[in-house]
Amino acid sequence: MTELILQAVYSGLLQGGSYALIALGLALVFGAMKVINLAHGELVLLSAYIAYTVESKLGWNPAAAIPLSVVIVSATSALVYLIVGRIKTNREINSLTLTYGIGVILTNLILMTWKADVRATNSTWMQEAIVVGPFYSMRSEVLFFGVAVALIAGLWWWLSRSWYGRAVRAVSSNRDAAKLMGINPGRTELVSFIVAGILAAFAGVALFSYGVITPAYGGVLTVKAFIITVLAGMGSIPGVLIGAILLGVAESLTVTLASSALQELSGMGLFLLVLFVMPNGLFGASRRRG
Amino acid sequence: MNFAKTFNPITIVAVAAIYIAVPMLFGADNYVMSLIIASLVIGGIALSWALLGNLGGMVSFGHAAFFGVGAYTSAVLSMQYQVPVFIAMLLGGVGAIVAALAMLPVLRLRGPYFALAILAYAHIFRILASEWTSVTGGAAGIANIPRLPVLFGVDFSGKTGNYLVILTIVLVFAVAYALIRRSPHGLALRAMHDSDDATRVVGVNNTLLKGMMLMVSAFMCGVVGAFNAHYINFLEPDYAFSALWVTIPIVAAIFGGYRTITGPLIGAVVVYLVDQLIVKNILPSGHQMVLGLVLVAMIVASPDGLLALLRKLGRKKDAAT
Repeated sequence: MTELILQAVYSGLLQGGSYALIALGLALVFGAMKVINLAHGELVLLSAYIAYTVESKLGWNPAAAIPLSVVIVSATSALVYLIVGRIKTNREINSLTLTYGIGVILTNLILMTWKADVRATNSTWMQEAIVVGPFYSMRSEVLFFGVAVALIAGLWWWLSRSWYGRAVRAVSSNRDAAKLMGINPGRTELVSFIVAGILAAFAGVALFSYGVITPAYGGVLTVKAFIITVLAGMGSIPGVLIGAILLGVAESLTVTLASSALQELSGMGLFLLVLFVMPNGLFGASRRRG
Repeated sequence: MNFAKTFNPITIVAVAAIYIAVPMLFGADNYVMSLIIASLVIGGIALSWALLGNLGGMVSFGHAAFFGVGAYTSAVLSMQYQVPVFIAMLLGGVGAIVAALAMLPVLRLRGPYFALAILAYAHIFRILASEWTSVTGGAAGIANIPRLPVLFGVDFSGKTGNYLVILTIVLVFAVAYALIRRSPHGLALRAMHDSDDATRVVGVNNTLLKGMMLMVSAFMCGVVGAFNAHYINFLEPDYAFSALWVTIPIVAAIFGGYRTITGPLIGAVVVYLVDQLIVKNILPSGHQMVLGLVLVAMIVASPDGLLALLRKLGRKKDAAT
């Protein structure tokens, strides 16, 4: 029993890597523009389906789809920015319905292009077992956990050391002051959307490499990313990684100990618990309450 | 309160005409009647969504939860506990209120956080409906849900009877909405829109009012869901909690103008009929994409609805000449 639980924790930990990439994209855009992109999960799913096409049409390893995914998904993300940027009044509320509409469009485009069937990878290289100590996993899980950690480290470096990364943080904390310092907020917001798209592209290829995808999955991913940002609190990269791992572990434990149908409920349970006990998240300092 | 303004003779004549003329013209045609009934169902949800959005200032992506909970409550009560159908429908609304009570902690969150939390709740209720098999029948669903009964010698089970019932429900809700908007609470809610903090300073309990609006909206949506269950006589979790019950009403409300009472209703009829009669024939799978396109176009061009857009264009033309 203990072994089973430890194995579940290990699987959840690996799953947490991609969750963190998705949640960071959502948080980055929210920070820069105060817009929750409800189409974010669909961007991730788009990348997963690009990986599916590359594998099924060209017979390549899904990981080879990453360059193409990055280009298409970040371009789509930039397009979302351009549409959101056209909102003139009441941006907080209107951007929600707008990005919800974009999500509906993307879901149905995916449905029309790739049909409603459940898809998963056929790559044996990705599915081969990797043993680390007493733990088992697929090669894809370990591989993409490593990729996720590297990307998160890169993101941390970018946000804290590079000019544009600092600009994103400056616009997040005080838009007007950032303007006075010579930062173009519009361009900074565009950059944050593109970076979110790049993270989403990697996460999508990862999801396809070790899981199953359906056109309706995008909305679920957005909700998961949101739950993670609530767990983490805003503005903390390590917090998002830990929140993502927590969600991954909670889900995987629920599957092992109860049933896979209850997987989504475990995330909600965590979410409500944090909401009641620590409304500012586990690590965040910023205010979310009314 | 000025009753004459709300219930002027023209309105009364128009309402009477809708009650009598529609069944007389289309009563024999089952297909047309089912289209009209479905668009009224959408109109009812759109109205409840717009009430929360307009008065409460809250964008909800979770109305599928109220719709589904109302439908299941009414179906289960009328089948397993032999509750009369009309009472079960009202209790369906009460069931949706209970669901809204479970969502109250979310009122601590504001703006986008609220919207996403309520979206998460809708997922939860769908999972509960599929997993709680002893009551809901699980993924297989519930078949043979009783039709609307004969009451006071009138048979409500046919298409015309169903039409009269859903029309009455929607009209009663519209009047209730108008009354709430005019009441002092309505004033406080409008003030809350402009400044949350200032309203609180003058002694308005914001959170209580928001919670009340959430429950009123949930009740309306739940009753419509319950009606729909008895109308189509079948329920399954993926249908009752479908994202469609969120998407179409939002598009309808935004299209018609969600700050008005008639806007969501007119929007529902237009959007649903265009979707079913035209778009579905051109794009059999993925025809909902057009709904998304309409939503995006409306928000970018005129978030206050088509009427506001036409008025704006008219003004531009006036200025040009």
